[in-house]
Amino acid sequence: MISLRALIRKEFTTLFGAPTAYLTLTMVALVTALIFFDHLRLYNQILFVYASTTMGGFASDTIPEYINLWDSVFFPVMEALGLTLIGAVPLVTMRVFAEERSRGTDELLLTSGLTPNRIVLAKFLVTFLFVVLMMSVSFVYPATAIEGGGLGFEHLAAVFVGLTLHGIGLAAIGLACSAFTSSQLVAAVSGWAVAFVLWDFSWMSPFVSEGVATFLEEIALHPRYGAFSEGVVALENVVYFVGLALVGMALARLSFDLRRVGS
Amino acid sequence: MRELALAGLVSIVFGLGSFYATDHFGAFSIANLVFGGGATLVALALGARRMRFVGGPHSRPVILRGVARVAGAFVIAVLLERAAVLADVHLDWTFEQRYELAPATRKALAELPGPVTAPLYKEDFDPRIRHTRTLLQTLARAGPVKVRELRIEDVPEDEDRFGIGSSNSVVLEVGSRYETVERPTEGALYEALYRLRQTRAVRTLAILRGEGEGDPNDTRELGYSGLAAALETEGYALRSVVSAALAEIPDDVDGILSIAPQRRLPDGFLAAVRRYLDRGGRLVAFLEPGVDSGIEEILADFGIEPDAGVLIDPASGAFGDRPRGLDPIAYNYESHPLTRGLNADRMTFFSGVRSFRLRKPRPGDEVRRVVLASPRSWLDPDLSVLKAHKREFDAGDARLDYYPIAVAGIYPRAGGEARIVAFGDSDFASNRYLRALYNLDLTLNAVHWALEREPEITLRPKIRDTVQFPLPVESTLETFYGVGLLVPQLLLIAGGIVWLRGRSA
Repeated sequence: MISLRALIRKEFTTLFGAPTAYLTLTMVALVTALIFFDHLRLYNQILFVYASTTMGGFASDTIPEYINLWDSVFFPVMEALGLTLIGAVPLVTMRVFAEERSRGTDELLLTSGLTPNRIVLAKFLVTFLFVVLMMSVSFVYPATAIEGGGLGFEHLAAVFVGLTLHGIGLAAIGLACSAFTSSQLVAAVSGWAVAFVLWDFSWMSPFVSEGVATFLEEIALHPRYGAFSEGVVALENVVYFVGLALVGMALARLSFDLRRVGS
Repeated sequence: MRELALAGLVSIVFGLGSFYATDHFGAFSIANLVFGGGATLVALALGARRMRFVGGPHSRPVILRGVARVAGAFVIAVLLERAAVLADVHLDWTFEQRYELAPATRKALAELPGPVTAPLYKEDFDPRIRHTRTLLQTLARAGPVKVRELRIEDVPEDEDRFGIGSSNSVVLEVGSRYETVERPTEGALYEALYRLRQTRAVRTLAILRGEGEGDPNDTRELGYSGLAAALETEGYALRSVVSAALAEIPDDVDGILSIAPQRRLPDGFLAAVRRYLDRGGRLVAFLEPGVDSGIEEILADFGIEPDAGVLIDPASGAFGDRPRGLDPIAYNYESHPLTRGLNADRMTFFSGVRSFRLRKPRPGDEVRRVVLASPRSWLDPDLSVLKAHKREFDAGDARLDYYPIAVAGIYPRAGGEARIVAFGDSDFASNRYLRALYNLDLTLNAVHWALEREPEITLRPKIRDTVQFPLPVESTLETFYGVGLLVPQLLLIAGGIVWLRGRSA
């Protein structure tokens, strides 16, 4: 009988034994650095234009309020990274269950004495840890740049927490999709589709009643993680992503039941 | 079935992706969404149909248990989320603490006559909306505020009705009364809430004019229009009183505000002020060093004797090109109702100050120090130091002490209880400094206390500047090369090594 710890170790080894994990980490870290630097450069340029001597300098009122570090840098970076994660995370999760299923090793795991609950838990935990690692690597550069500018870390920490939770939510969706298929391609595409559908429902508001629109906004990903970019860490938003992970795990567990009865 | 599902999902991804990219539904996105949605539904229906034939009676409970587990997880997630909403835990990690409501805002919300509807009028892509939305949500959590968002173009009738000029405007509506706030900040929303809270001015304040006093209509830096606006917001009807033309203070005046007269007031008027105080009147006086307007004599009669010199407080730094010590930053407050909420972290800024000596004129009178300079302060008898430039002051053998620079007294008299608040400076309430540190709070709270409106004493929202300074490009670029590119590079090398080893294994 192999333990949960052994399974987690095995999952880690599998994950980092393939170049996909490194490529994903590289891609997200590079994209973060490029987007962040580009917005920072643009922000500095706009700020200097407004603060030019002909316009009264930095102490003048000519600099519009929305030209600031949060609105010009953090928020657009977070928006862009949110979409980047939708692209990247299903690439990581697509193989987690689908590969085992296509090779038939999932049945081998079940015969080793591990319950489906433990298998699901181990795979989700490892993937979540990977997402945390991915975001940590991505935030090394923004954190260093912000610290160099003499600013506090708190707001950046809120952005980091928001994006990490968003990544965990996407991972839960991707893993649930991966659990229902033996095709990695189908797993990735369905992960993208579900994430895109859950991303934002504001486009539906003209067609539905106010109550339905409010409900749709409550379940959408974008308003939830977007709140973190404002620097506000709200418990309900944290719980939303935890709940999403919980439902994702239950769905992945259901796939084992369906396999058991042969569907 | 799988092929259909795959095609449907890919179409949904592209349909929504093109919508997010262009922010409108074009033919491409609509066609993709219609086809994708239809194909996915058909695939799901086919899958469900196939499920009907799965297993026998023994396998159905297994599937039902699994479905129940999913439903249970969903219910738990929803309940947890609702519980978190009720718990109302929000951490403000912004640099400026911009979503921490001031006590005054909370108080104004709590004392509203009814629930407030707060529609936020916006245009698409207005970046300021996010701040306002979060601010309104913060208000909604603290009081009976119902927030909703409306696109201006969808409600043209509201544009005329509420006078909405631009996107990012909020209308606060209580019953039939409303206040329109453009460019909403917490301070602007607080003032609107305060106005909605009351229906009329509750006190009349006479402002002395005619002898070089501070001008409440002057909007320049050294004017007092900001103070006048703040007093009106907090329920005072202001009435300018020309001292030379007045033989008696009218009975309907609840208090007198004297902002540093530069010339001596007419004796007849000073006698009228004395009579007014003897019948339980209220006086708030801002003085300046070296001026004898006659108000000083009245204060002395009431146990508040202004010192002759200028207070030097070297604990405060140099301000602008002024020498160190002339502009005290006060952080020592005596325990008094009008200093409620002020402490060593909530400082007040003064500029060119005189101090006071206190005595008790009659048994039963209560004269107290309110704001003190630092213990390193002393009095310089030479008034010319006020015009000094770039020089250090030396205490010499002057007495160092906590000199009071704001005092307050209560005087039971035959006609009623008189109250006096005196400040050794007037500039601290001018337009230039009123919003600095906690000056506004000290000033308004002093007026509230003097006019027996203690429940109004509070701390108001502060203007918090957004971070608008640049990050140094050169160091950022160095960090970009050093960290921003190096980390991905190392990761790529590691991935390459793993791949090569995997191939050779």
